[in-house]
Amino acid sequence: MKELWNIFKKGIIEENPIFVLALSLCPALAVTSSALNSLVMGLAVLFVITANNMVVSVTRKLVNPTVRVPVYITSVATIVTVVQLVLQAYLPALNKALGIYLALIVVFAIILARAEVFASKNKVIPSMFDGLGMGCGFALGLLLLGIIRELIGAGTLFGIKILGSWYNPALIMVLSPGAFILIGYMVAGFKMWINHSEKVKLERGEM
Amino acid sequence: MSDENNIEPKVNHEKKYSIFQITINLTIACFISGLIIGVVYFFTAPVAVKTAAGIKTDAMKSLVISAQKFTPIKGKAEWFTAEKDGKVIGYVVPAESKGYGGAIKMLVAVTPQGKIIEFTILESKETPGLGDNASKDPFRNQFKGKAVKDLEVTKDPTKANNIQAMTGATISSKAVTKGIKEAVQEVTQFVGRK
Repeated sequence: MKELWNIFKKGIIEENPIFVLALSLCPALAVTSSALNSLVMGLAVLFVITANNMVVSVTRKLVNPTVRVPVYITSVATIVTVVQLVLQAYLPALNKALGIYLALIVVFAIILARAEVFASKNKVIPSMFDGLGMGCGFALGLLLLGIIRELIGAGTLFGIKILGSWYNPALIMVLSPGAFILIGYMVAGFKMWINHSEKVKLERGEM
Repeated sequence: MSDENNIEPKVNHEKKYSIFQITINLTIACFISGLIIGVVYFFTAPVAVKTAAGIKTDAMKSLVISAQKFTPIKGKAEWFTAEKDGKVIGYVVPAESKGYGGAIKMLVAVTPQGKIIEFTILESKETPGLGDNASKDPFRNQFKGKAVKDLEVTKDPTKANNIQAMTGATISSKAVTKGIKEAVQEVTQFVGRK
């Protein structure tokens, strides 16, 4: 149980897909212009990465290693298409909000990376937890970016006005350059935090 | 078996696969994937069509709130008249133009006099947070009651009659305005001909 928790946990901070592994930065830039978009996208990725990790893990002994990458991509594409079809039929509003980004999940580096690095070498349950952890890390990362960008760039949160009329929104934060700048600071911040916590651990270990 | 191994000293720990094995593996994977998508599509497609139709009626209702009935116009695909007490109070017509991220599909409601009642964006790929805001106020409500001659995008705030561009999304602003303008012109033509 502890082991599964550790697998889950590492995706959130230690190996956070956006801020530490620096994977899938392109969608992280593109969709985080508002908190709601970020959240919806994060949840979609969470679902797809978990489902794909499980599929890859189940079929890991059947897939020929020379064609594993095309097979993984096929698997991701299938899951994403199914999600899209279901959303179209039952949750059209959500489908509209996700727009083109939903189809883009197919080529997310993070999903392929987890399939290759983890799911293809591990059993189903650990793979599921790896997917959940990485997905949560990705979703939380997106949400954090989305909240900061929307708050500074538009003065709102989830479309609700937070900062009063005195606040003059810094539009750059909603545009791509703002995302680049913000992600840079976040990566630096995460690095500092991890360095600091390692130092603390080391000191404790020595004492 | 051991004899065979002796004959082929090339065989090492890494298994070799023939091109046929590799191909069949990938083919099966794609086949299964196709099967799953097919089955899901079979069940969701009818629901999706119904949902899309429902959205369209809702969209038209939200455009012309006072209308009681929408009737398709003969000879004009996707055109509808909005009627109240048997009188035509508006036309709901589709409009399309090329925006920053591809086609913007809209639905425009126009009065028989050629003034805009309201519009809605059905499908677009504009940048979220910028061009995407075309469907929201304050950009959207600028169009209400405007006629063709006022449908020009401007960045000059003193030209209150015209359409003020959205900051950072001039292309989207122009595209939406152009699509709506064309729709209004078509309706005016159509009404004039009758």
